[in-house]
Amino acid sequence: MITLGDYLIVSGLLFTIGFAGVMLRRNIIIIFMCLELMLNAANLSLVAFSRFRVDAGLPNYNAQVFVFFIITVAAAEVAVGLAIIVALFRARQTTHVEDIASLKF
Amino acid sequence: MSPFLFWIFAGLMLVFGAGVVLNRNPVASALSLVVSFLGLAALFMSLDAYFIGIIQVLVYAGAVMVLFLFIIMLLDLRAEKLRKINWLASAGGIAVAVALSVQILYVIGNFRFSQQPFPPLARSTVDDVHHVGSLLFENYNLPFQIIGVLVLVATIGVVVLSKRELR
Amino acid sequence: MIREYLPVLLQIIVAVGFAAAVLIVSVIVGKSGRRTRVKDTAYECGMVPQGEAQPRFGVKFYLVAMLFILFDLEIVFMYPWAVVYKETIGHSTLILWSMLSFISILMVGYVYALKKGALDWKK
Repeated sequence: MITLGDYLIVSGLLFTIGFAGVMLRRNIIIIFMCLELMLNAANLSLVAFSRFRVDAGLPNYNAQVFVFFIITVAAAEVAVGLAIIVALFRARQTTHVEDIASLKF
Repeated sequence: MSPFLFWIFAGLMLVFGAGVVLNRNPVASALSLVVSFLGLAALFMSLDAYFIGIIQVLVYAGAVMVLFLFIIMLLDLRAEKLRKINWLASAGGIAVAVALSVQILYVIGNFRFSQQPFPPLARSTVDDVHHVGSLLFENYNLPFQIIGVLVLVATIGVVVLSKRELR
Repeated sequence: MIREYLPVLLQIIVAVGFAAAVLIVSVIVGKSGRRTRVKDTAYECGMVPQGEAQPRFGVKFYLVAMLFILFDLEIVFMYPWAVVYKETIGHSTLILWSMLSFISILMVGYVYALKKGALDWKK
């Protein structure tokens, strides 16, 4: 029997994988992909809670509307973020975060 | 949803999610992210959120990942293979990630609802697109308009950032 | 329960089997194993290939792809709208006006992109 805890554990592991990617990788595009993984892990736990809070035989659809909004905002964020990465690449010819250290002191 | 299918899709999602982090070739990372999102969409459907699953496939696995692949092709990212790994930083990152996962597992283990199965759904005659739609257009009209403004700002930002010589 | 998914499993097996079979057959029939360095070079006075085999994409492509995503989001919001429209419009016209306002907000962005020449293919 699959319980709520199983979904939450899978979601937490996915979040951890994304987090580890942000910590370990130095390529800015891979870091961006790992951010998407973390967002999706949060979505999974939201949908799991929505299914868990059954009211009158229906899941709690507020959470699903919320996930819908998150997905749209994330897609808009990807478009702008990738445009920034391309602008950065044009200026510096690199996507490696350690090469971009002008603000470091 | 049988436990067997749940573990298949969860395993698929996690393995390919790890593939995103472990692959050194960005194209391979992007493709494993697509598979991971497809597994996630299957998990959404196992939670009876069919509409969210479809949106996940349409927006993420379809549009967003195509954009990622475009950018990888555009920027020609192959130089990364030459870099050597900074082992100290990697060890630190892995240690923090392991600590985070232990923490998450501990919290979920002590969560009082985590051992309860999902309550059964009533056999409903209307589908979930219907419910999401009526909720979205009755209770969430203002957030919907704000999303419109956000997408407008994103459009303008994309055009300004990527058009080198503006008219 | 799990039995209902048997056709899906069957389809996966057929798809993977077909792909593998095509690859194997093309190796066997095409004799692609026999390659020498001389065979792979350009013929006689042909040009020696220079640069990368994979050319980089132009910037135009990705600008169009980004704008595609942003308008894809607009379409995604129209699916639930179209599903609930018919029954909601009876007692309130709010649903019509909210979608019209949403589209007109996005239309501003579209007009902006057009004016800035983001969708001009030439140049």
